[in-house]
Amino acid sequence: MSEQSVVKRGTEGASPRRRGIAGWGDPRGRRLGGWAFILNRLTGLGVLAYLFLHLIVLSLLARGPSAWDGFVSIAASPLFLCFDVVLIFGLLFHGLNGIRVTLVGFGLVVDRQRAMFVALMIIGAIALVVAAIHIFTVG
Amino acid sequence: MAQSEGPTPGRIGTTWTPSGEVARPTWGWILQAVSGALVLVLVTLHMIANHFVVAGGLRDFADVVAYLSDPVVVVLEVCFLVVVTWHGLLGLRAVLFDFGFSPRAETAITRVFAVLGVAIVAYGLWLTWTITSYH
Repeated sequence: MSEQSVVKRGTEGASPRRRGIAGWGDPRGRRLGGWAFILNRLTGLGVLAYLFLHLIVLSLLARGPSAWDGFVSIAASPLFLCFDVVLIFGLLFHGLNGIRVTLVGFGLVVDRQRAMFVALMIIGAIALVVAAIHIFTVG
Repeated sequence: MAQSEGPTPGRIGTTWTPSGEVARPTWGWILQAVSGALVLVLVTLHMIANHFVVAGGLRDFADVVAYLSDPVVVVLEVCFLVVVTWHGLLGLRAVLFDFGFSPRAETAITRVFAVLGVAIVAYGLWLTWTITSYH
């Protein structure tokens, strides 16, 4: 009988040796799914931080046209556009990897999840390049 | 709980894990998966409608007011706000629970997040109402 135990849902990719936050940085026994798990959490935290920032910035809309339109002109700067590309990377990784996690969690395509992960990441990379070109050329 | 049969593809409630462990679904996980699927659709719509089809990538004030004058847009954006808040806070809760708090602390975190979620949605509704009143 192989040694297996029940783990908390959502922590499947954590290092098998160290659970909890400390387990995130533990490379021992970590395979592709484990790294995907860490990046899923980091992009999730990053996108959530962005969401809070976004909601705060949107409060400028309540202060009228001059407040909001002043921000719009600043947001067109190259630094903001770089942040936009980082945001889209976070959204794409978290969303596409989330498709894999959800399907596998419901017991679907379990034995093909590595191939699915690679395919989703290729789609994500193409989408990221297209989005970045759009952001820096069309705006 | 020991499992001798290993991963069981195709059966809801079990999953393969890198270490060969078997995970069991919780309500939190199922809600996270459902809200994640909804966020995926709504964030795609939001990004296209608010950024990728807009000249310059960001609507000016008059354009935002005109955009939110469509009731369908308001419903979709409010749905997005509710679902993304739900998914984000539930995800942060899962991350915090990795610290290994006591059951009592976990309950407190859940309650604080529920209040925070309601406050965020209330703020979003107020903001939407304020913007649409400019129309």
